[in-house]
Amino acid sequence: MTDVLAEKRGIQRERCKTGIEGLDNILNGGIPRGNTILVTGSCGTGKTTLSLEFLVHGALSGEKCLFISVTEPSSKLLANLIPYEFFDDRLIEQGLLVFIDMPALYERLGLRKTEFTFEEIHMLVNAISGIVRELQIKRLVIDSITSVCFQLKTEEKIREFILKLGKALSDFGCTSLLVSEISPAEQRYSMYGVEEAIADGIIILGNLERKGDLLRTMQVVKMRGTSHSRAKYVLDLTPIGILLVPLLKGGMGAEK
Amino acid sequence: MNSTEVAERLKSMPDGSSIALKIGETNFADNYVAALNGVLKEFMPERRYTCIYVTTTTPSHLCKNLFEMFEMDVSNIYFVDAISHIMMNVSTQMERTTYIESPTMLENILLKIEFLLKKLANENKLLILDSINTLAIHNGNRILAEFLHILVNNLKSKGVFTIILGVEERNSDEISNMLSLVCDDTIVVK
Ligand SMILES: Nc1ncnc2c1ncn2[C@@H]1O[C@H](COP(=O)(O)OP(=O)(O)O)[C@@H](O)[C@H]1O
Ligand SMILES: [Mg+2]
Repeated sequence: MTDVLAEKRGIQRERCKTGIEGLDNILNGGIPRGNTILVTGSCGTGKTTLSLEFLVHGALSGEKCLFISVTEPSSKLLANLIPYEFFDDRLIEQGLLVFIDMPALYERLGLRKTEFTFEEIHMLVNAISGIVRELQIKRLVIDSITSVCFQLKTEEKIREFILKLGKALSDFGCTSLLVSEISPAEQRYSMYGVEEAIADGIIILGNLERKGDLLRTMQVVKMRGTSHSRAKYVLDLTPIGILLVPLLKGGMGAEK
Repeated sequence: MNSTEVAERLKSMPDGSSIALKIGETNFADNYVAALNGVLKEFMPERRYTCIYVTTTTPSHLCKNLFEMFEMDVSNIYFVDAISHIMMNVSTQMERTTYIESPTMLENILLKIEFLLKKLANENKLLILDSINTLAIHNGNRILAEFLHILVNNLKSKGVFTIILGVEERNSDEISNMLSLVCDDTIVVK
């Protein structure tokens, strides 16, 4: 509520620069600090790459960053970071960039069931927000939230988890990306539909076929706390990071 | 117009200018060489430019051979080659060259240029687009106009000197209009 009042008075919310120049331009300066963003798209569209770059730029500017990996071991993710020209090993040595494997966290909390109870969800939220508070994390990525939701099963539990977590993170001024996996044909932005409704922002990554050419695309469809472009952009994953240019509209595109 | 006259005209324009360089169709080869000599041999070294040469006409290794034949310094030229692939001509991959699958992938051309602009952030830069006519063969006018607009404005905002090559008599009214919208000046070599 205070946000809404502040915006009405024309007070700009502090921005968390993603460090991806094209995305910061789309967002008029960056993600409003403390927002919880859903980064959504089908497999191979660049969600993990985008999230890692967001964290590395944060760490380079001196912010403490945390990557919680649910599906892949973090050692594998680290290997993905090596090709980046702007990546520096010391970020990890200095504790600016921290990786945690979610299965290890479940293990520590004694969460072994296939479906978590509300009590266990609170334990999990407390554990994550505890780490964020203790390490003074300013940027968090959970890759993927879909895999966590898989163990929550019901809409009520997913809602409880994301709302509680989002609240705790935003209280600490931590800006978070929750990675959401969807199938290419999916009509909505998240597997369960709940995630997209309660996130502060949604960034969609996708593929677009035009006359036989396949393009990687990005679109910001929602972002609380800032005006932003809603247009579709074409993206390239490069050793100097993600590059973005506007999707040209002169040709007719068919979604794939 | 000879190469020195081309170079003199260019030298009168500041960084960040965008120029349509139209080459006369009669004696095309002589005009083309005069234009490139003026740009690459006389103008470019004086401004100490690093060049991004976007070709949608001649495969980059042939461009390079041609430039070397006329004793131009190619060590400061980075090619974005959007023609070799469709001519099945990528067996000779060169250094300082980025290949694009087809001249219809206009966004990819923009992305590779963006990549080079960032990599060459500390250099003074010249971008040559060769040519508007071949791009027009592969793309509709509306998307081409949009492409040119985004490209030239982006280059201008970064102070990059931009030269767009075209064949004078082959430019339709639409292409001429597009060029006059984005270019500060026109030089005709014939
Ligand atoms: N710097 C890079 N240059 C080229 N390709 C890359 C680069 N980084 C990642 N990729 C490729 O892009 C694809 C998308 O990767 P990823 O971010 O893991 O997608 P997602 O998390 O959406 O499944 C992968 O196939 C990967 O190999
Ligand atoms: Mg991934």
